[in-house]
Amino acid sequence: MAGNFWQSSHYQQWLLDKQDLIRERQHDLQILSEEEYQKLFIFFSNFIQVLGEQLKLRQQVIATATVYFKRFYARNSLKCIDPLLLAPTCVGLASKVEEFGVISNNRLITTCSTVVKNKLSYAYTTDFPYRTNNILECEFYLLENLDCCLIVYQPYRPLLQLLQDIGHDDQLFSLAWRVVNDSLRTDVCLLYPPYQIAIACLQIACVILGKDHKNWFAELSVDIEKIQEISRYVINLFELWKTYDEKKDIQALLSKMPKPKQSPSR
Amino acid sequence: MEDRLRRYEKIEFLGEGQFATVYKARDTQTENIVAVKKIKVGSRAEAKDGINRTALREIKLLQELHHPNIIGLLDVFGHMSNVSLVFDFMDFDMEVVIKDTNIVLTPANIKSYVLQTLQGLEYLHNNWVLHRDLKPNNLLVNSDGVLKIGDFGLAKFFGSPNRVYTHQVVTRWYRAPELLYGARMYGTSVDMWAVGCILAELLLRVPFLPGETDLDQLTRIFQVMGTPTEETWPGLTSLQDYIQFKPMPSQPLRNIFSAAGDDLLDLITSLLMVNPLARCTCEQALKMPYFSNKPAPTPGPQLPVPTSLNGRKQDERPSLKRKLLDAVDGGSLAKKLIF
Repeated sequence: MAGNFWQSSHYQQWLLDKQDLIRERQHDLQILSEEEYQKLFIFFSNFIQVLGEQLKLRQQVIATATVYFKRFYARNSLKCIDPLLLAPTCVGLASKVEEFGVISNNRLITTCSTVVKNKLSYAYTTDFPYRTNNILECEFYLLENLDCCLIVYQPYRPLLQLLQDIGHDDQLFSLAWRVVNDSLRTDVCLLYPPYQIAIACLQIACVILGKDHKNWFAELSVDIEKIQEISRYVINLFELWKTYDEKKDIQALLSKMPKPKQSPSR
Repeated sequence: MEDRLRRYEKIEFLGEGQFATVYKARDTQTENIVAVKKIKVGSRAEAKDGINRTALREIKLLQELHHPNIIGLLDVFGHMSNVSLVFDFMDFDMEVVIKDTNIVLTPANIKSYVLQTLQGLEYLHNNWVLHRDLKPNNLLVNSDGVLKIGDFGLAKFFGSPNRVYTHQVVTRWYRAPELLYGARMYGTSVDMWAVGCILAELLLRVPFLPGETDLDQLTRIFQVMGTPTEETWPGLTSLQDYIQFKPMPSQPLRNIFSAAGDDLLDLITSLLMVNPLARCTCEQALKMPYFSNKPAPTPGPQLPVPTSLNGRKQDERPSLKRKLLDAVDGGSLAKKLIF
């Protein structure tokens, strides 16, 4: 996305502090452990990803939707809105904002139903419960909670620039790109500017592939401590994935999750 | 939501157009006067798809843009498909100024308007935003003489490679020749052309190139600026809707703008270059001698105020009403675009 990052709402209003997150999540973390909380967010990020892919959206749009989702819950408890409703609402809003084609709410709902039925049957035994009216109501609530800040900067573009500088390498590119996708399952998009996330993901990709670009990284004028912090988030995610079987655990987690008091009117 | 409705106290109805209803209101928290633009819910099918896209475009861009010559978005409130945007209140627009025969526009006044327009536009372009709908009634002026570019319903980020844009933008009279020829990839030059047309209109006090059809628009452009050729505009003949016009010579601008000095004529010439790549940018325009030569631009508070405002005849307050009603007549384009 074009524009000026340093004057953007993303930089000025939406780079949060770790302490802010802990405070805002206090309520949910009385019910869920931190790890359980993260597992739920991994699940719903995946839901957004699958939904986006079904709708043939570009990764940029999917990433923006995921950031909206995370920003919303950075300020609200999970019991405010069922994430199963907020996720498609974020996808709908992101696709409008990024102007990559029109998705009607009808198509959004139909796709949700298909995805829940065919791909998430291990998590949900019932049909997707929401209708267009729920999405409409939720959309404005989302917009307000985002403080109308709709433009999100993603690490993909800085990643491309960094790779151009390091020298073209297809293997490195595709792995680093996927690490950036993975980083959306952590809190880094709420805490760090996208260019730092790009550097951290590139570094992780270099380590995995055993490519030595130490000198190149050493020359970057960047706060290396921040990069290491980001790397730690992503590596912790990889560690979590090693031992975690979502298919087995998610139903229990979803039933434990704080929920809105009323079920949606149909 | 209830609080927000109560926060803005309706003072008067300003106007209604195809897309929105506009009210003048008092912000009870700050006591400021604001303009509340309530986006109309369109057809049932449209309402089903949630927040209106035009409104969303204004929200997302104006939330990122902050400049004295860009309209400020102060607040957004609403419910479901009902969205209201709260803007700086602006007393009138340039169309009113141009049409008000009681107002004498001195060279210093004109310089002030053009300067403020270009400064706002330079900021937009530096932030990779194209306005795509510049015309006199989108240049809003407040009683302090500050000009702000408004209506971002067609604005768009540019600069992403391989993005194809629609050419159905900009009200015809202010539409650049490359758009009329169907260019799908274009840049800041489309806004520069519009500024050229607006500047010409400030001098002439009537629209400079009031084409009746797209073809007529091109004819009028070429009658004044001369018919372009592949030599003067490389790539011209490969544009999607290219049609060959009979060769016409360019007219000396001095004959059309008899009151304009050489420095001003140079600016107009640079803004109205038919070849978009030869047209000047905001930065280049602002560096031209016209802006450093005498007379100095009129300070804001000394700029003229339309008679309708002097008389404080509330019901004739024109700005937003005109602006929105304009969307209905033929000169304007529907704000709903398919990208």
